[in-house]
Amino acid sequence: MAQGTPYAAALAAYRPQAQRPLAPQTLSGEALLKAFHPDYYAGSLAPLQVGPNQGEMCHRQLAQVLQADARIDEADLAGAPVLETGILVIGGGGAGCAAALAARQAGAKVTLATKLRLGDSNTVMAEGGIQASIAPADTPQQHYDDTMRAGRRLGDKRLVARMAMEAPEVIRWLIQQGMQFDLDQYGDILLRRAGGASAERVAYYRDYTGLEMMRVLRESVLNSNIQVLDYSPAVELLSNELGHCAGAVLSSLKDCSYIMVKAKSVILATGGIGRMHINGFPTSNHFGATGDGLVLAYRLGAKLVDLDSYQYHPSGLAYPQHLAGSLITEGVRSAGAYLLNARGERFIDELKPRDQVSSAILRECAEGRGVAAGEAQGIWLDTPGVELRQPGLLKERFPKLVDLGKKSDVNPLTTPLLIYPTLHYQNGGARIDEHGRSTAPGLYCVGEVSGGIHGKNRLMGNSLMDIICFGRRAGAHAAERCHLMSHKRVSLEHLSRVRRELALAELPLDIKGPMLFPECAKPEKDSDYDGLRRNRGPEG
Amino acid sequence: MSDTDDELVRVTINGKEIRAPGNLSTIQALWFAGYPRVKGVGCLEGVCGSCRILVRRKDSPEVAMALGCQTLIEDGMEVHFLVFPTPTHHAYQLDEIANSWEVQAQFHRIFPEAVHCRHCHGCDVSCPKGIEVEKGVELAGKGRFREASELFVACVMCDFCMTACPEHIAPNHLGLFARRVTAYFHIRPSNLISRLEELRRNEHPIRTD
Repeated sequence: MAQGTPYAAALAAYRPQAQRPLAPQTLSGEALLKAFHPDYYAGSLAPLQVGPNQGEMCHRQLAQVLQADARIDEADLAGAPVLETGILVIGGGGAGCAAALAARQAGAKVTLATKLRLGDSNTVMAEGGIQASIAPADTPQQHYDDTMRAGRRLGDKRLVARMAMEAPEVIRWLIQQGMQFDLDQYGDILLRRAGGASAERVAYYRDYTGLEMMRVLRESVLNSNIQVLDYSPAVELLSNELGHCAGAVLSSLKDCSYIMVKAKSVILATGGIGRMHINGFPTSNHFGATGDGLVLAYRLGAKLVDLDSYQYHPSGLAYPQHLAGSLITEGVRSAGAYLLNARGERFIDELKPRDQVSSAILRECAEGRGVAAGEAQGIWLDTPGVELRQPGLLKERFPKLVDLGKKSDVNPLTTPLLIYPTLHYQNGGARIDEHGRSTAPGLYCVGEVSGGIHGKNRLMGNSLMDIICFGRRAGAHAAERCHLMSHKRVSLEHLSRVRRELALAELPLDIKGPMLFPECAKPEKDSDYDGLRRNRGPEG
Repeated sequence: MSDTDDELVRVTINGKEIRAPGNLSTIQALWFAGYPRVKGVGCLEGVCGSCRILVRRKDSPEVAMALGCQTLIEDGMEVHFLVFPTPTHHAYQLDEIANSWEVQAQFHRIFPEAVHCRHCHGCDVSCPKGIEVEKGVELAGKGRFREASELFVACVMCDFCMTACPEHIAPNHLGLFARRVTAYFHIRPSNLISRLEELRRNEHPIRTD
């Protein structure tokens, strides 16, 4: 049961106030993280026993799926239809669409496969914006420095430099796809400051930045001679005689059949792991964010990085229950909203990097200064304070927030919202180079499934930038080299190696991966469900 | 939360009666009752437009269109999940439009049905986001794309208006066209362009040490 002041009592004690000073903080930086950040929870990590990262520490839940058995073997492919393409993009979010568009633009034959519908992704839910150093007082160097600092200097320098340099061009490309940004009266792009950034660098469209981006990219893909296979999650990659990536096996949710897609190269853009609910946290992620790409890439031999590092976004809605985990954009804090504990006190500089703000919220709750609402707990996001200082701002800039208020029967203009950190982002992923190439030949990884850009903590607005920047680069690079690639024999041969290693390490073979869908929605639980075919159980 | 039977509400989803706590959305209710709904589930925050449902509330003859993740179950409610309509036949590339003087002519070539609007309000009634869809169609038809574009800010491309339109106008795609041409031809931010020029002149090398 949650500890802290009961919701009704805390709300009764709350008084809107325009200004509130922040008391000096005794615990901050690294010490705060070590004491309260979930990445440091005792016993949450385990060493990987097989694969390219053998011996390295990884979150237990992720380790379980990375070391799971494949869902299929060669026998399942007997009679499966075969489709041949140039570039196969797996994933229909922002990164996948950007990669597909760039590859098509470069003249390649492109097939895009997505688990659900095109555009069903975390991209569509992104609110805050996209970082690019376009303010006169800002520079790509500052963008680079801020990104490296926030990631605790663990990001890959080349990747971060590439992103910071290309960011303005990415914004231009998005506008040319038809994406709108909020502008000032002279038509300049408005910018806001991300927590942990040294300048105003986040471009946005209301709090619908991701929605605006996604509907434009989706329309662009649908009008671009790109073959789209929807409701077709990838269950395994295909390899050639050298073990290079040569396509994928898709499982059609429409007719429960497998399809083999042979491709010159594959671009994985499958997103993150929120729906694995690492450490039992609620998540802001899309229904399909089950870490599939990491599992597929790992089995094919791609090296992963930073598997112990996840981002918990400070402002997930904690109450009411049916909306728990829903995200409130950092833009609200950027616009000046305070965080208050049940006593109405501020306890952290709200614009510190996300890992520190989340840790401070967890501290308040753990030490009994939180607000308890049934099984949920949290602290206040002081939106009425913003309304007092800048009347009308919330309504104008944050329509989605106001709408969320309506759905939760809480008017954010007069009543603070109860928030609690929500599992938001996988900081690590497949190691890539500047072209998005993983260490497994023929396999590119872009977007959240890739790693190395954000180090151990990501800045707001750097994800939307990273997916488009590296999505485009991977698409163009893969298309350019299409004619150089040929595969003699395409099969699931790499699975023999995987299974041998699992057996040697005495790991259980009854767990199958990738997950594909969250626990609550496992298709195999329901016999009359017309979706994925049943998993084979441990009994055979 | 207590799950005793008398606190659960009864709701019929795709013909199956289930019981679940009243503070759950239609999708959460299905999961609660053990039905692993996958198709038509997406962001669960009302922005992806995947969970299209028809809803009839107790003692009401009216059938409303809504998003499943945004609709809390009520006792006696009937819900039906819809599949997506076939994709729109409207196809275009922005770079085929030579310049902004050509947009109106191109619009009528790409969306010839727009002028056939019967003003039946089907699109307005079906929109789960309360967008003035019909007005947007009319404005775009008159070439007032920027105004039309503003009406479709909250559109999640759920395609309800497309399903509802007897003239096959595809109002949401039309709205998105209005939005895209507005950006494509009219967003020219001086702060962005200045930075791009500086980068072209190599004025911003990055030190990575």
